[in-house]
Amino acid sequence: MNKKIIITIIGIMGILFLNACSYGADNTSTTNNDKEEDPQKGGKVSIPIVADPTFNPWHPNAYAESNVVNRVLFSSLTKPGKDLAPSPDLAEEWEVSDDELEWTFFLRDDVLWHDGEKFTADDVAYTFNEIVLNEELGANNSSYFGQLNKVEVVDEYTVKFVLESPVAALPAYLGFNTEILPKHIFEGEDPWNLTSFNKENPIGTGAFKLKTYNSGQSVVLERNEDYYGETALLDEVEYKVLGDANTHVAQILTGELSIFALDDLAAIEKIENADGVDVYARDTTRFFWLILNQEIEKYQDKEVRQAILHAIDRQTIIDTVLKGYATIADSGIAPALQQYYTEDVTRIEYDPDLAKELLKEAGWEDSDGDGILDKDGEPFTIDFEIGIQGDLEAVSQMVQQYLEEIGIKVNLNAMEWNTMIQQVVVERDYEMTLNWWRYPADPDLSAYMHSKNVKGNNIPGYKNEELDKLLDEGAQTSDIEKRQKIYIEAQQLMAEELPYLFLWYPQEAQVRIDKLKGVPDLSFGDALHYINEWYLEE
Amino acid sequence: MNASTNINIKKKDVFKKRSGKNILLQRLSRNKIAYVSLCFLILVHILVFIGPLVWKVSPTGLQDAGALANWSLQHPMGTDDLGRDVFSRMLYGGRITLIVGLAAMLFALLIGTIIGACAGFFRGYVETVLMRFTEAMMAIPNFFFVLVALTVLGTSPIMVVIVIALSGWMEIARVVYGETLKWKEYEFVEAANASGATSIRILTKYIIPQIIPSIIVSGTLTIAAAILTESAISYLGMGIQPPTPTWGNMLQDSQQYIWTAPILGVLPGAAITIVVLAYNFLGDGLRDALDPRFVKK
Amino acid sequence: MLKFLINRFGQSIILLLIVTVITFFLINLAPGGPSSTMRMDASPEERQAMVEKLGLDQPVIVRYASWLKGAFSGDLGTSFTSNEPVVQRIAERLPYTIELTIFTIIISIIIGIPIGILSAIKRGSVPDHIINFFSVVGLSVPAFWLGLMLILLFSINLGWLPSSGVGARGVDFNLWGWISHLIMPVLILTTTILPNIVRFTRSSMLEVISQNYIRTIRAKGAKESIVIYIHALRNALIPIITIIGVLIPRLLSGAVITEAIFGWTGIGTLILEAARGRDYPLVMGITIVITIVVILCNLIVDIVYSRVDPRVKNV
Repeated sequence: MNKKIIITIIGIMGILFLNACSYGADNTSTTNNDKEEDPQKGGKVSIPIVADPTFNPWHPNAYAESNVVNRVLFSSLTKPGKDLAPSPDLAEEWEVSDDELEWTFFLRDDVLWHDGEKFTADDVAYTFNEIVLNEELGANNSSYFGQLNKVEVVDEYTVKFVLESPVAALPAYLGFNTEILPKHIFEGEDPWNLTSFNKENPIGTGAFKLKTYNSGQSVVLERNEDYYGETALLDEVEYKVLGDANTHVAQILTGELSIFALDDLAAIEKIENADGVDVYARDTTRFFWLILNQEIEKYQDKEVRQAILHAIDRQTIIDTVLKGYATIADSGIAPALQQYYTEDVTRIEYDPDLAKELLKEAGWEDSDGDGILDKDGEPFTIDFEIGIQGDLEAVSQMVQQYLEEIGIKVNLNAMEWNTMIQQVVVERDYEMTLNWWRYPADPDLSAYMHSKNVKGNNIPGYKNEELDKLLDEGAQTSDIEKRQKIYIEAQQLMAEELPYLFLWYPQEAQVRIDKLKGVPDLSFGDALHYINEWYLEE
Repeated sequence: MNASTNINIKKKDVFKKRSGKNILLQRLSRNKIAYVSLCFLILVHILVFIGPLVWKVSPTGLQDAGALANWSLQHPMGTDDLGRDVFSRMLYGGRITLIVGLAAMLFALLIGTIIGACAGFFRGYVETVLMRFTEAMMAIPNFFFVLVALTVLGTSPIMVVIVIALSGWMEIARVVYGETLKWKEYEFVEAANASGATSIRILTKYIIPQIIPSIIVSGTLTIAAAILTESAISYLGMGIQPPTPTWGNMLQDSQQYIWTAPILGVLPGAAITIVVLAYNFLGDGLRDALDPRFVKK
Repeated sequence: MLKFLINRFGQSIILLLIVTVITFFLINLAPGGPSSTMRMDASPEERQAMVEKLGLDQPVIVRYASWLKGAFSGDLGTSFTSNEPVVQRIAERLPYTIELTIFTIIISIIIGIPIGILSAIKRGSVPDHIINFFSVVGLSVPAFWLGLMLILLFSINLGWLPSSGVGARGVDFNLWGWISHLIMPVLILTTTILPNIVRFTRSSMLEVISQNYIRTIRAKGAKESIVIYIHALRNALIPIITIIGVLIPRLLSGAVITEAIFGWTGIGTLILEAARGRDYPLVMGITIVITIVVILCNLIVDIVYSRVDPRVKNV
């Protein structure tokens, strides 16, 4: 009885305090408010995933649905801080040698695997030397570690990353789906075929450990009482396997789900208007792009690329398809990377008349009056190949309409995802395509636009020595101020040259029930690193 | 077993059937539902094939009214999620859907008729192989194959037509087979045979014309099935892809708007249902009109 | 009987072989590889490593031969996307599809046969016309559209039924949770086969009623109800057994769509995942298992039929 009264009083005080706060400062974020309350222990959150996960972050089959589980089960050396700069996780601190070729990471000495074994430097060395650097395995994200020669064990709790050439982004890469695996279980096994671990009984170091897993239905994790950080407040985290996006919406409205990032924004209004659920816009390190194959001569002309971007009303597409959850992009470096992002670039505005003028200068004009631009008797037609996924079909249909308005005939060909990858990414047999990149919280975009990667992820096949030089410098400079300068220059160059026609930086629409508190103001994926701080309010 | 009972049909019936399509139409007009369905289908075809000539709004163009606009004079069915005129899309989409249904039906008829007629006419091992094959195809849950085939072969309209036809010719083959067996026994066929006509000539000149009414019935029912299959694969995202509108992919597209604009899904769904229903009623009506037992009543 | 069984068995093996050849070459010759080699941001090196690991650098014929060799010893290979044995993945999912289809068959028979009989004995009456009308409607409504409308009504507007999933199993199992998840999928699947059962029962019944022996019994002055229920029905029901064989493939096809609408984690959703992810071994495994299930069902129907129908007993 007494207890109840005390709780009630605390509750009332809390509410009063909350009110005071919101009167005091309107822009106090929700998390700040939450912290004033007394976090309670207990309860379960439910998170949707679209398919069965693989409990191994490096496994080539570990897609997005696995990442959100592995991030909670396992830990990595660093994690994105609340400002997205790399912050300590398994590594307490790190330092780089003067030639920037050796990084030393000092590990925590109080970490236990879920089976009670001690975590040591050997686990880190094993994960990188035997799995990531083993080219035959083709581990996920191993391309981030192309410059890594080996990982040396200095002592039980110190490791040294030895590089071929400087990689300023190393600490950021070490916090992006690069969790450490237990050597004592993997040693001598084929890491991809160890089903007893990858599919049944994973052993991690994270704040939660596996309780039950039913294929096609759910994964339930329970609190790890021996977690090295703050012990989690929630009792359980449940991942429900639900393939259909409409179901996610239905279940969060009934409270059967607690939090997720809504990909398909069609239903956003319904959620925004519902009680007990809210939508939070979160910046992410992603950008949507349209590319024109640089192997084709007419697209090597910068003015033609600019003209095409001028013709597209990006704000209307953002409002229509993305319901406003995006900001227009000028380059590839997203505003989420506050340290590096700049608005001080030439912006390509929506201006169909200017687009026509630019094309006219390049020799494209409607000389035969059929409504389609032509040059030397050849009409301006573009084959537009896209993969069927998420918003891509809707967006590309609008792009097609905008281009037809300035007299470019666009043949849109939507194909099944794997076919698209084969044709566009592997064979480079395309003229124009539309897609997006997501990258670690670091501005190094060499993978996507450096000329050395034209056979890799530089899908447009863009080559520009000036940009190459800037990207190389940026990748090898650890000094933050120098790096900022380099990337500001790089952004200005990108915005002008358009190696990709940058469309927008999508924001994540994070859907969350109001009862769930303690979630930091980060994208859903990054907030999972802080799941031990989440709690449910009665 | 079937053949022996069929032969017992009296000669009088035969002449009734041969005396032409007028009787068929006459009998059909007695079946009200079938008659109404026929009129409705003619209307729908006029609407989707001639309608776009009158209603000149582009089905893919973005309208000034913006996305999800309400019903108005300019947009009698409003605009869709991207701001395109729904009425125009219903017309164009209907056109594609009906053409796909029709084309798939014709292709299926071609396969079914060839296989059925050959099996019935040549008998022997040709019959065994062809009819066993037909039965085997019927026994397989063909939707699994349709899915796998479309995922890997792509979703161009021609591929969709071929795959639907390949999954729906078996019933036709069985009907044609049965009819061929029956007609082969009649004197005028035997007479032609005796006079030295080639097999192909007998089949095309004497037998197939007799089967045409049954083929029409099967064809009508096959169109209904083909439209349903097209919309089902579109629902799974493996049908004809945007920007080409079909009722099936419009319905698929509207799914994500089930919360905020459910009407987008109601329209194409209702259109598919009503058209398929009409084809099925028409097919049933035609079959009854051809059924001698029905005539006696 | 034995000769008949051996004959059918031989045919089934040939059918199975044809099905595997078609499927194997179809999926292997198509553009694009398994998802595991096809991540958007995978480097060419990562891709190459995966291709070699999965043995996809070998000629298709060689792969088919080794697959077939494994299949004969009951090993359907390892799923590309999960690295688990294909047999295990199918075994996890098949029970859910069986659950769904069995409920559907039972309900369809319980409802469909009486309606079909009613329609036959009241031939030409108003109820007969109504039944006929709704049979055609049932055949014409796209199942997924009806499913969406049901979700709109029962899950979104009324909030009575869950829109998706199979309900909690194991320790958390509860009866209402289970039934509430079953209602809509079973309803949808039922609409795809119920009209067939009704129509078949009707025509089978009409056939029997017009037979000479029924007329004889009637002429002897037996009560109409006795004529219908004792004499006609018994003989009309025998052919109805055969329709089960015809309906199994239709039911499994319908299950793909139904499972997709309601997130029912059966074999239908598995084939979708497998086809989209180009999980070759899994596609092959499902195809072969489904074909075997259908062949077995047909065989059982044939045997039962030959047992109960005196006319074909001596075949």
